Order: sequence, then structure tokens, then C-alpha cells
Amino acid sequence: MKHPIKTAALSATILSAGFAAQAEEVTFLCSQDSNECDVMQELLAGFTEETGNTVAMDIVGYEIIRDQLENQLQTDAAPDVARVTNLGGLNQYYLDLTPYVDATYWEDNYGATLPWFRAQDGEDDGIYGWMTQLTVTGPYVNVTMFEDAGVEMPGEGATWDEWATALLEVKETLGLTAGLAIDRTAHRMAGPAFSYGAQFFDDDGVPILVDEGFRDFAETFVEWHKSGLMPEEGWPAGSGTAYQNATPLFLSGDVAMHMSGSWSINNYATNITDFDWRAVPAPCGPGGCGAMPGGAAVVAFESTDVPEAAAALIDYLAREDVTAEFSALTRNIPAHQGLQETGVDYGDASPAVAEALRVFAANAVVAAATTPQAYTFQGYPKNFVIYGVVPDYLTRAITGEMTLDEALDAIDADVAAQIAE
Amino acid sequence: MWNAIETAFAGSAWPWAFVVYVVAGWVIVRPTGPVLGRFMSALGWPIEVAQRVSGATGLPYLFLLPNMLIFGVFTFAPLFINMGFSVTDGQSINFDQRGYAGAENLMRLFYERSIDTGLQNREAIKFAQAVVDTAVFVVFQVPLMIFFALCTALALNRDIVARGFWRSVFFYPVMLSPVVVGFLWVLILKRQGVLSATLMDWGWIDQPIQWLTDPSWTMFWSIVVYTWAHLGFYMLILLAGLQAIPKDLYEAARMDGTSDWRMLRRITLPLLMPTLLVVMVLSLIKAVQAFEELYAMNVRWMSLVGYIFETSGLRGQPTTNGLGVAATASLIVALVLIVLTLVQVWLTARQARL
Repeated sequence: MKHPIKTAALSATILSAGFAAQAEEVTFLCSQDSNECDVMQELLAGFTEETGNTVAMDIVGYEIIRDQLENQLQTDAAPDVARVTNLGGLNQYYLDLTPYVDATYWEDNYGATLPWFRAQDGEDDGIYGWMTQLTVTGPYVNVTMFEDAGVEMPGEGATWDEWATALLEVKETLGLTAGLAIDRTAHRMAGPAFSYGAQFFDDDGVPILVDEGFRDFAETFVEWHKSGLMPEEGWPAGSGTAYQNATPLFLSGDVAMHMSGSWSINNYATNITDFDWRAVPAPCGPGGCGAMPGGAAVVAFESTDVPEAAAALIDYLAREDVTAEFSALTRNIPAHQGLQETGVDYGDASPAVAEALRVFAANAVVAAATTPQAYTFQGYPKNFVIYGVVPDYLTRAITGEMTLDEALDAIDADVAAQIAE
Repeated sequence: MWNAIETAFAGSAWPWAFVVYVVAGWVIVRPTGPVLGRFMSALGWPIEVAQRVSGATGLPYLFLLPNMLIFGVFTFAPLFINMGFSVTDGQSINFDQRGYAGAENLMRLFYERSIDTGLQNREAIKFAQAVVDTAVFVVFQVPLMIFFALCTALALNRDIVARGFWRSVFFYPVMLSPVVVGFLWVLILKRQGVLSATLMDWGWIDQPIQWLTDPSWTMFWSIVVYTWAHLGFYMLILLAGLQAIPKDLYEAARMDGTSDWRMLRRITLPLLMPTLLVVMVLSLIKAVQAFEELYAMNVRWMSLVGYIFETSGLRGQPTTNGLGVAATASLIVALVLIVLTLVQVWLTARQARL
């Protein structure tokens, strides 16, 4: 009796030890907007089958990545790979995938987005991450509300002023909380600010936040809050540099328009059942029709103990077939240039989803042509500092704690201090 | 059953290690007396040895050691790390990537012009604002809370119906997590919340009021909620103080025909003074540290601790100097709190002598 037990235990130990030596576990901190991580987890079953490596995925909210990842990276607590949005800002922590992947394939298919990850010294030509999707900011509209209020929706090429008038009318007719909600971050505010002519950067790529266009927009933005077009539950409800997501306001029918981005398509397609919604082209202004490009990416970190497995994981996700499936299942625009040309088969996507994907893709094109500073801003490694500082002071101007002039001076002074080396 | 035990220990070495440990103990301690006692001595041989080495007076320190170690690692180490942050700058939390900054962080907190850019120094303005706001909060919150805690304690010290029930009602908020308190009050105070809805129902207001974001109301409600959440704790201390006052004093006063008001002023309050003092200093310290409830409610002013939290980069994006500046600010707050605590210690000692 004794011997069989011992033998079994021994052989089990040897077996598991042998298996562990071959297969590695990759820890993956994944921030989920809608179903991206769930889909990735399903797709990664194929990766485990091919390589034997397993993936331990932690699915978290965007705030966790934003607030905690960098501190984790400075200690030994970092995951092997993560889905991040601060592409340039985390450059110093990235694992260069070049030795582990087919660099030609990556340059051919992801060449346009690879520079977003790189250091700004002009010498960095590493391959650092797979863009899970290209995102573009833009507004969603509650079509049912416009119909109920009998207000005609401004068409393509309409300005922010025209939209503001229409939304205010909808708000007042239906007695809504507000007409327009914008997430509390300068990333979402930047598009409209570009439309009003804000440049954000000088010709050398140095931030010059407050210019004539920015001032124009800031005045309008404060006025939008005073007139009740924008809700107290949005920007004024947050303090400091805190991010505040306005999605719940749109979902619950409190506002008629949500300035968000293409990452919300799937969320809205899944969760909105009692009204019709639509993504509309980014409204225009004297400065063009501004929208912020961007996106989340899966990157590996230098601190990883399993660089090969981590790189293999990212390489697997970046494959054309896998990326195509990911884009289809998450209703996202792929960053894969080959797929952009051939198009992704979104399968049973509803007309609203198909239309939204088309609108956002067009937003990106129009923004590239009319407001190129959007791409400069996206590639600027300290853009996250600006995302936080601007809401801090604009909110004070909205609530009357500061005059707008004071707030704008403060934005300039604080941004300069925060980005000073 | 034996089989189950055998299976559980299969492949594990620790039963053998245990036997070796006991045998070694037996050899080292050489116990005498009844068998069970000897076995227990062998089992506890490290303590026996420690006792023989340190003597009876040294042993308590040995028992304190594990706690002191944990305390040291999780309290003193962060304290020293924090001091380190305050004299260095840089975005990283690793000291090898932080440069020595000397008093620069202090300048960043107090100078009118930024030493980094030469522009207006926003950091100093933010910090000063946090100091002023926190001071306003403390000045109103502490006296109000002590007053209400005293009233409640006096009422609950009387022989009222269902006294135990009322005591637990007032103590209940203390047991709630600060975050729960915050969210609970958000439900009451937000635009569609109970308060605005009720007031509109009664026709007292036409428009819902943003109690938490309206700059003229946000401080008021911060004080109310903070008082509500912490009142029970101080009430309990005062209640204990009240019950320590000898009953015969009241009986004697009553026989002399003293009025209730006079008894309160001449017996209760003077004898309660030591307890009131403790309550005052404790609540003062707590109010200076106010953060969790206010953070959960997203009030429109920033407390000192909120400022430190925000600046340190714990939330949002770490900035080049944020961590050092926040560490310096936290040391300044600590200094204030140490002074307050010393005052308490001094006052308590003086009371004890009187």
C-alpha cells in the first residue's frame, strides 16, 4: 500500500515539474472597455494550444491601468503584458519585441502605429506593441430623443454651435438632465477644441495649450455648463485630475449626446435596448472637424521573466486572422493595415454598428486632413499630464471658483511645471 | 482513518521534521517530572531556552519582538521612505532613479514662482488652498461634532426607553466603511437624490440643488456627513466619562434643590472635562486627516490628505515632481499632528496631576 502511493506522488511531481519547464505562464493585466479582454481570452486558447504556454489574465477597469500600472512597473509587481493606452509615456518599460517576431510583417502591417510607442529621440525603431484597435473620438446621439422632441438633427459637416442649439432644444423640450455629456478628460475635449481652432502644439511640437482657439473653446465650454447644455454630473462632479466616464448618463437616457469614441460602439450596441442611437460625424468649427485618434495596445514589459512567451503572445494576437476575428467580435477598427484595406467582416453587426464604424473611420480621415495636431497630441509622450491638468482648472472655471482667465493662466503654468524635466 | 492520514502526509517531510524537533528539544532541555509535562517542555524548547538565556524580565520583550518587526516594516519603513521622497525628485518610486533635491520640494510648496519654469507656482496655490479649506473644515466640524456628541451622550445617559437601541443607532455609522458612508450620502445629495426631491415635493425649492458640487453647499455637507459618520465614536467616549461621575454627587445636589441646568454646569461638565479634552484632541486630529468620505462623495474642495493623494500620482498620472512634493506636504501635516498630540499628552498629564 505504501509504495504505490509514493510512486504515484513521485511520478506526479516529476511530470508536473517537466511540464512547467516547457510551458510558461504569462501574466496579463487587461483593461476592458466592453468585451475586449473576454474576446482576447477566448482567442488566446489558440495560443495555448499552439505553444503550450498559458495566460493568467486579470481583467480590470481602465482606471486601474491609468492609476496603478506605472507604480507596479517601478517595483517588481508588474505583469508580463498589459493592455495600455498611454503608449508613448510608458516607453521606458517596454520589451522590444524585434528579436522575437517577424519585423517585416510588423512594419508592413502596423508601420503607421509603431512610432506611437517609441521614444521621441528619433533613433528608436523598436517594435513594442500590438494596437488592439484604432480608436477615434466622436459623439453618439440618442436618435429617439431628437424624434420625440421634434428637433431636426444637424447633418454632416454641422458645427458644434449648431449641435449645441439643437441639443439644448431637445433638452428643454423633453426636460432632460442635460443635452451633451463629455467624459472628464482633455482627451475627449481635445476634438471639439481643435474644431474651434486650438493648436495645442507649436511648430516644434512643444505644447502651447492656451491660444486663441483654445480660449474660444474654453469660453464656449463654460457657457455650455452655464446654459445647462452640459450636466453638473459630468465635469463639475469630478475634482482634481480625476477621470469621469459619462457613459452611464447616455445609457440611462439623461443626455441626448455623448462625446465618447469608437471604443463604446460595442457597449452601446449591447446595452442600449430602449432607444435608437447613432454615431455622428465629429462636429466642425473654424479650425476643422476635430477628433482624437488613439487606441489601446497590448505591450510586454522588460521586467518579464518570460520574454519569449510574452512576445509570442503578442505576435499571436497580431496575426492577420486573429486580429480580424478580434476586430469582428469587439466591433473595432483594426490597426492592421492589410485588414484596413480588405475590410473586416463584422458578420451580424446591426446597421447602427456598421454605420458607427463607418462614421468613426471617416472621423479619423477628416481629422488627419483638417486637424493634424490631433496626431501630434496622440504621439506626445506626456499627453496624459495634459489630459488631467486641463479638466482640473476648467472645472473650477465652470463652478465659479476661478475666472476663466485665471483658469487658463493656471493651465499654462501647471502644464509647464508638470512636464518640466 | 490511518490511511487518510498516511495519504495526507505522503511525500511530505514534516512529520519527520517534527519528530527530530521534539527529540532535539528533549536532548537540549532534558525535562524532568511527569511524562506529559516533559513532553510539553520538549515541545516548547525554544521558549524554555529563551527563558533560561534572557531570564524572566527579558522574556516579555521576546514576545513583543514579532509585533515590533511587523510594526517596523509597515510603519517605520514607509515613514523613512517618505522622508527620502521628500528630499529627492523624479517620477520613479525607486531611489536609484531619483535625484537629490534638498529643500527644492519645500520651495515648490511655498514659493510664489515655480523654481522649475519661472511661471506662477500652481503647486503653492493648490497647497495653500488645501490648507485653508481644511482649516475651515476643522474649525466648524470639530466644535459642532463635540457639541452634538455631548448632547447625544447626555441624552443617552438618562434613563430613557430603549436606551440600548438608541445607543446602537447613534454608534452604527461608525461601523460603516467610509466609502459606504460616502456613497450613501451621494444617493441622498445628488441631483435626483432624496433631499432635493423631497424639498421640491414640499415646494421649498423649484430646481434640484447640487448639494455636493455647488461650491456654496459642498463644505456644509462635508461637515454634516463627516459629523454624522464620526459622532458615535466620540459619543461613546463621552458616555463612558459620564458614567464615571459618582451618582452621589447628583443625589446630594438634588437634596439641596439644585436645578438640572446648574447640575450640568457645576457637576457634569467640570468632571467630564478630562474626557472632553481627549475627545477634542482626537477629533481635531481626525478632522485634519479627513479624506475617505470626502473622496467617495467627490466634494468640490480638496482636503490636505486629498491634496497629498492627488499630487503623489497615486491617482492619475505620476508627474516629475509630484511624489516629492506630496511627501513634503505629508511631513508638514505630520508635524501639525505631532504638535496636536503633544498638546493632548501634556493636557492629560496636567489633568492627572490636578
